[in-house]
Amino acid sequence: MAREASLQAPGPIPSPFSGPLSTRAWHLLFVVAIALLLAARASAQEPPYFVAYSHQMEEPGNLEIEANSIYATQRGGNDFIAPWMEFEYGAKGWWTTEFYLDTQATFGDSALFTGYRWENRFRPLMREHWINPVLYLEWEDTNGADKTMKEVVGFDKEADHAVPNAEARREHDHELETKLILSSNFKGWNVAENFIGEKNLGDEPWEFGYALGASRPLRLAATPRPCNFCRENLVAGVEMYGGLGTAKATTLSGTSHYLAPVLGWQLLSGVTFRLSPGFGLNDNSHRFLLRWGFSYEIGSFDRKLRSLFQ
Amino acid sequence: MRRFLLALALLNGSLAAAQTAAPAAHHHDTDSRGVYTVIAQAPVKWRDWKNPYEGQADAVAAGEKLFRQHCAECHGEDARGAHRSANLRAPGIQRATPGEVVWFLRNGNLAAGMPSWSGLPAERRWQIVAYLKTLR
Repeated sequence: MAREASLQAPGPIPSPFSGPLSTRAWHLLFVVAIALLLAARASAQEPPYFVAYSHQMEEPGNLEIEANSIYATQRGGNDFIAPWMEFEYGAKGWWTTEFYLDTQATFGDSALFTGYRWENRFRPLMREHWINPVLYLEWEDTNGADKTMKEVVGFDKEADHAVPNAEARREHDHELETKLILSSNFKGWNVAENFIGEKNLGDEPWEFGYALGASRPLRLAATPRPCNFCRENLVAGVEMYGGLGTAKATTLSGTSHYLAPVLGWQLLSGVTFRLSPGFGLNDNSHRFLLRWGFSYEIGSFDRKLRSLFQ
Repeated sequence: MRRFLLALALLNGSLAAAQTAAPAAHHHDTDSRGVYTVIAQAPVKWRDWKNPYEGQADAVAAGEKLFRQHCAECHGEDARGAHRSANLRAPGIQRATPGEVVWFLRNGNLAAGMPSWSGLPAERRWQIVAYLKTLR
């Protein structure tokens, strides 16, 4: 993410809600979580990655709602939590589109909405192959206070997140992000390699990054009886991601890198939980990250939506 | 005149029978979703693969559970198809070999809206096929 400020009005910008997240907001989140837990059915088959993408597309007509968060320790600044929402829709068997809303709360500072993203993934080959490519295109409209770390590119580093929110939010990033996703499924394993190119539409060079992932269910065959606490519902794996410099200086030097085990747990209700502690691999990286999230998939959302208006 | 009335009655009866039978045939064995066409493209090595779970009651039960989790939303709880999905009890699908069906599950028919289920381990896809083959 480029961190150079574009032209903004000087002076502090009032926060939509200052201070830590209000009790009311937490109550609302709790109610939404319970409602999703009580709702029925999903058919997710995706690996539990937070950063890497596999070639698994959303089923056509389905809507997956995800609530994710990242907690990061911060040297030279305050630790933070950055929650984000994802709305993933299967437009076609070969086209998945997704909308993100990003927020963050920095301890001892403030909480704020940091922007939105609109992502599209296209699967050009209609059959399954050893290596399956997916083309990824995303438009980002975020401000400099965004800390979701959905990708690490260029020379992104821990110090970028030490800037106080009031200052960081004045920077506006309009970015185009592209990815080449390569992914394979073999003997229960998924292995994914993502090559990232991100362009700030201001006068910035292309920034590059990578994300790798490998995961496998703890049991391959299903058991005859429905169960929540059985190994077949658990998927474990690991992710590694980091920056690769820019078009002017493609390098590993001065970039940050992370290694993060991931664990996914799918309940019978269709809710999936994911957890991932991440560890910075060099001095440019946050020392520790913790990501968590849950998702719920609404099957045949398009049909259900249409039926409301008939 | 009696012969004429008898012939008319027979004609009427056969027309009525045809009217009731025609929708059933249409419902059960037409390839409106292009499924048979895609299944016919399964490579030979897949076509001849035997289901390692064939005849195993536990695998059929697991397959039924997986079907309810992943497939019933589109194909219906009874697998007869609904809206935009194929009837999985149709003769054309039941005639396909287990290998052809598991190949189809792995690849899907993305252009027609059937997702690829390659994200499911092969063992679970075979379990689903074991269940589908009990729906004849």
